[in-house]
Amino acid sequence: MSNPVLEAIRTRRMARALTDEPIARAELEEILKAARRAPSAGNRRLHRFVAVQHPTTLRLLRAVAPGMFQHPAAIVVICIDGAKAESFGMKPTAKGLYVDVGTIAQTVLLAAHSLGLGAGVVTSFSQAAVSAVLNLPAGLSPEMFICLGHAAAEQPASMPPRGRVTWQTLTQWERFPAR
Amino acid sequence: MPAMVLSEDEALELVAFLLTAARTQVDEAAEYGSLRLLTAARRLADAITDRVSPETRAFLTGPLREMPDLAVRTADPVGYVAALDGVCRAVGQHLAAHFGLDRRPQ
Repeated sequence: MSNPVLEAIRTRRMARALTDEPIARAELEEILKAARRAPSAGNRRLHRFVAVQHPTTLRLLRAVAPGMFQHPAAIVVICIDGAKAESFGMKPTAKGLYVDVGTIAQTVLLAAHSLGLGAGVVTSFSQAAVSAVLNLPAGLSPEMFICLGHAAAEQPASMPPRGRVTWQTLTQWERFPAR
Repeated sequence: MPAMVLSEDEALELVAFLLTAARTQVDEAAEYGSLRLLTAARRLADAITDRVSPETRAFLTGPLREMPDLAVRTADPVGYVAALDGVCRAVGQHLAAHFGLDRRPQ
């Protein structure tokens, strides 16, 4: 079975090497429009995005993100709005806040892929340093970078799988057998 | 006096990388410790390659580049340690040659 959505899911890859080619502001805006459509628990919209294209800001974000191998043309920083979450009576550790970061990320990754762009996730960064670089207001915490650009023809070898992974090895039908 | 091989901007970026890696490592998989140190070594190598001696350049662009960027221990514990030992052996040999140990009387 195949359709454009399944094909996009199958062919998307994490881009850890990007070319110097810039991406158009219009493309970035399309990606942000897609991000706004990501599922949001209770439709509470407790996340904010910071879109970065300025070369110096990109350079500084890379300097404080040890997990960033690529040199992106743009970064979308996904932030949790902790103050707004608190207004709903949610603790900062509420899992829904972080689940939604993931659904936003996958939406952005697929949107970028559909536009022919490369995208890679980075979570290894200092939140304190990123907050300072971006002058984030109190209450906003940066949780994930989506690095965007044009994927280089040659990519670093991906993290090798530990054992064979298929959808079947990840799935247990109905319930686990008695132990 | 040896030539400067790192600009202030480049040095500052490396300091930022090391500092922030110290923080991120608190929360991340232990095997990322070696990964981050190797990344820092490669970033430093990238910054200085054009300003070093041909022999040092050969080391920076040779043995140091042989380990994949994203190699981690759990994927192949024996091979990973062997590869790291190989790079360490190469740096030891280069250090001995660069600092002239081979030319000094025993």
